[in-house]
Amino acid sequence: MFVEILISAGLVISGIFGIVGSFGLIKLPHPMMRLHAPTKATTLGVGGALIASMLYFGLIERDLSFHELMITVFLFLTAPITGHFIAKTHIHRNENKDSLPETGTARPWATFDHPQQEQEQPEQQS
Amino acid sequence: MDTGGNFLPIIAALPFVGALIPGVMIRAGRTACATYTFMASALAFILLMLSAPAVFRGEVLQFQLEWLPMLGLNVNFMLDGLGLLFAGLILGIGMLIILYARFYLSREDPMGQFYTYLLLFQGAMVGIVLSDNILLLLVFWELTSLSSFLLIGYWKHLPEGRQGARMALTVTGLGGLAMIAGMLILGSIVGSYDLSVILQHKELIQASPYYLPALILILAGCFTKSAQFPFHFWLPHAMAAPTPVSAYLHSATMVKAGLFLMARMWPVLSGTPEWFYIVATTGLITMVLGAVIALFKDDLKALLAFSTVSHLGLITMLLGFGTEAAAIVAVFHILNHATFKAALFMSAGIVDHETHTRDIKRLGGLRHLMPVTFVIVTIAALSMAGIPPLNGFLSKEMMLEEASHTAWLSNPWILPALATLGALFSVAYSFRLVAHVFLGPKRDDYPAKPHDPAFGMWASPAFLVVLVVLIGLMPNLIAGPLVDITAAAVTGGHPHAHISHWHGLVPAFWMSVAAILGGALFLSLHGALERGWNAAPRPEAKVIFDAITRASTRASHWLTDTLHNGSITRYGAIFAAAITAAGLFAWFESPMSAPTREMLPINAIMAIGWVLLVISTGCIIAFHRNRILSLVLLGVIGLAVSMAFVYFSAPDLALTQISVEVVTIILLLLALNFLPGRTPVESGMPRRLRDAVIAGAAGLAVGGLTYAILLRDFAAESISAYHLANSYKGGGGKNVVNVILVDFRGFDTFGEIIVLGIAALVIYALTKSVLRGPGGRWLLNWGPDDDEAGDRHPLMMVVVTRVIMPIALMVGAYIFLRGHNAPGGGFIAGLIVAIALLMQYMASGFAWAEERQRYHYHAMIAAGVMTAAVTGMGSWLAGRQFLTSSYGYIHIPPIEEFEWATAMAFDTGVFITVVGAVMLALHSLSSMSRRTGEQVNIHPMDVDPGRGAAPADGKEA
Repeated sequence: MFVEILISAGLVISGIFGIVGSFGLIKLPHPMMRLHAPTKATTLGVGGALIASMLYFGLIERDLSFHELMITVFLFLTAPITGHFIAKTHIHRNENKDSLPETGTARPWATFDHPQQEQEQPEQQS
Repeated sequence: MDTGGNFLPIIAALPFVGALIPGVMIRAGRTACATYTFMASALAFILLMLSAPAVFRGEVLQFQLEWLPMLGLNVNFMLDGLGLLFAGLILGIGMLIILYARFYLSREDPMGQFYTYLLLFQGAMVGIVLSDNILLLLVFWELTSLSSFLLIGYWKHLPEGRQGARMALTVTGLGGLAMIAGMLILGSIVGSYDLSVILQHKELIQASPYYLPALILILAGCFTKSAQFPFHFWLPHAMAAPTPVSAYLHSATMVKAGLFLMARMWPVLSGTPEWFYIVATTGLITMVLGAVIALFKDDLKALLAFSTVSHLGLITMLLGFGTEAAAIVAVFHILNHATFKAALFMSAGIVDHETHTRDIKRLGGLRHLMPVTFVIVTIAALSMAGIPPLNGFLSKEMMLEEASHTAWLSNPWILPALATLGALFSVAYSFRLVAHVFLGPKRDDYPAKPHDPAFGMWASPAFLVVLVVLIGLMPNLIAGPLVDITAAAVTGGHPHAHISHWHGLVPAFWMSVAAILGGALFLSLHGALERGWNAAPRPEAKVIFDAITRASTRASHWLTDTLHNGSITRYGAIFAAAITAAGLFAWFESPMSAPTREMLPINAIMAIGWVLLVISTGCIIAFHRNRILSLVLLGVIGLAVSMAFVYFSAPDLALTQISVEVVTIILLLLALNFLPGRTPVESGMPRRLRDAVIAGAAGLAVGGLTYAILLRDFAAESISAYHLANSYKGGGGKNVVNVILVDFRGFDTFGEIIVLGIAALVIYALTKSVLRGPGGRWLLNWGPDDDEAGDRHPLMMVVVTRVIMPIALMVGAYIFLRGHNAPGGGFIAGLIVAIALLMQYMASGFAWAEERQRYHYHAMIAAGVMTAAVTGMGSWLAGRQFLTSSYGYIHIPPIEEFEWATAMAFDTGVFITVVGAVMLALHSLSSMSRRTGEQVNIHPMDVDPGRGAAPADGKEA
């Protein structure tokens, strides 16, 4: 009974965050904000479902499975990359050097750090 | 010695095998080259002679080997009298020509090439005359057209040679096509493609309503090959060939192939009015026309060419008479003509070779300067004129005899009169050949100082002239038996030739006398006649031919350019419209059966997938001008389709679809880099509407067809059941798809990986050539965009791909190993590993990653194909057929028991090829972007906190 409540809770949490994430994706006004919304769906949304699934198979079916862990690992690996590239594209298309705040170091924002400068450093290793 | 027919395939194969020798032996010198070529022919000739006694006893030697029995194409050879005569002529005269050509060709001519072509031709001719299967015969027939094309065009630097070769190929090739149709009709009437069977069914064939079409089509092939009117024009133009070729192809052998075939088919096709009127009339016209034209030709070889046309007409006419006696004469004249005409051609070559001209107007009085040649030409020419007692006289007399009692349209006078006229002109040009070249006063303006050539050069014509005389003097002793058995083979009866010099004062005698006297008279009037002839308007065959070729070239250009103008839209429209039309035709022609299956209920998941698919398809139409967006939408569609595969329990397909999808999208993205971001609007509204209608109709039609198919069972029993039943039993795998790929249809897969490898190599070659051409210069100037983003190789991406790499490779290995029993296999594993590598390339740049790659992709493709091939061949060691697989089980403790199968080694080949092909394609595309000046990074990532690209404020990161 307790287990079933836990599983149900996981599923419900997952559903709620899925909806919140989707809603945010539609409603939020700015791309950078919109980037924020789906992360809810990928972390807590999917995570809730995965936890529910692990509990179900581990405690009720008595068949411990690692599939969910693998899925989590892959999600954690890939979701940041996606976010990173979307943000990078956004900065590249909609911002310029001056519209962005200072980085606080001598180097500019990476997106505006042109490869030519990098290349000019003499490097003889290969 | 009784060998049965076992020598026959060897005889046919020897020239082909021999054709490999001259190209190599030419390095050992011209004489060595000629000797080895001669030996190939001589060996074949000896084998033929060893088989001859049996044929003279009246046997028909046969050799049978099934090649493609389902098509009725068998390697059947037979040797009867007709085959023996022709094979003897081909090989015998072939040897003489090889000897002659050794001395004829100059040092500058590539002799090895010449002998190779000559032997190829010889093999094809021998193949024709020995074939006992009409399809095999057709193969050899086309081979003679091709090899004669090479021989006529041997002097590639001469425009006449090239044009003549093209004309000959066009005419004989088209005739050959017609003949293929005729032969197929004939074969389907009888129900067999074996000649010996067909020859038994005269009544069946002649009663068939398809007799006339088959006859006309086959005769079209024969007439074009044998230069019969109105196709005679190619032969004189083919005289641009070196003289040995003219002597061999255009007098003794190839032009007689048509006659051979008419003689071969004589038992079943002849004897009908159609045969008589088509064949005899054509032959008669050709004979007279050729003889008349020959008289007015000043080029020695042109004169001989038209006289050949005339004599071929004569033989055709005799075959056309359809009587046994006429067939005997035809056979006899084939033999005689081959002897004297080959000798004459070779002599013409000698005259050309020594005086450097073939123009009769510039020659004359050579009899003292070239006495040997004079004797040879005189005897051969007299034989051609039909002067007793030479062999030409015998057959011509017999021909006139046959003509004298054949009525044409129940008019008894036309045929004899025209035959006499032909003979008369024949006498005239033969006399002219001797009189205007050798007789008369000696001149002092020859282009070169004439003298008799070396013995090797006149040996061949001299030998033939000796035959001319011997057959003339003792016809029954020398030629009689051969003519008898040949005529027996032609007619199917047991004829006996009575060849004699004196028949009494029969009409033929008077016709002969008239011809000789008239011919002499015409020669004395030649000057006046020639003026009249030159003044008269005549159609020039070459002009007409060129006009027709030009017109048809223009028509094909128009058709091709209309259908293929380089616009993908047009290809798509034509393709879609044609397919839809064909489908609609089938739809209306045959009614559709009632549905045999129930509709499945639509559930929510399916509906969602369906809606997704429809929406993304619709979006593609709406946004197709934005290329990146449509690529993304394509990816969505691909994934939706993979989900559909999963839903319908096709995990293999789903896995393949997903991995293929990933690879293609990435490659396309790379390619899009070089294209404008938007597709420009190029067509107006009406055209777009039209295209929309076509596309819509095609789409609806395909949809309807799919719907109809899904509601019905297969019309024929599907092979799937067999695969399901035998997959585990026979192939040792539970994954039927994989077993089909590597076992049941392993040979297909083998072909497919080769195609895949070729495709990758083609991409590589294309990019290479693009980079080298104007495209490469354009790319150089293109340069990177001004607003190119920095940090091309972000830290996060690099780190994550490094982490994922071993996992992805593991997945690849896993998918590969389980492939035989569970979804997976070499193809999918290859794609997964390729994707794992692709990620490294995306993260750190291609050049960086490639430097860390130890194997060349070309080598990988080769290794993959070789692995598959070697695995396939391994089954030969076990005495089984190519790609038969065997299997067993291996149990390594921590891993679940997995199967070991030879199919796995094969799958490894597939795997390596797929990886190599994908990576090579990627390499090609990336080399294009490097051409634009894209820099090669030295470090794996642009911003690396650990590297200490020290920020200016001195803080170490």
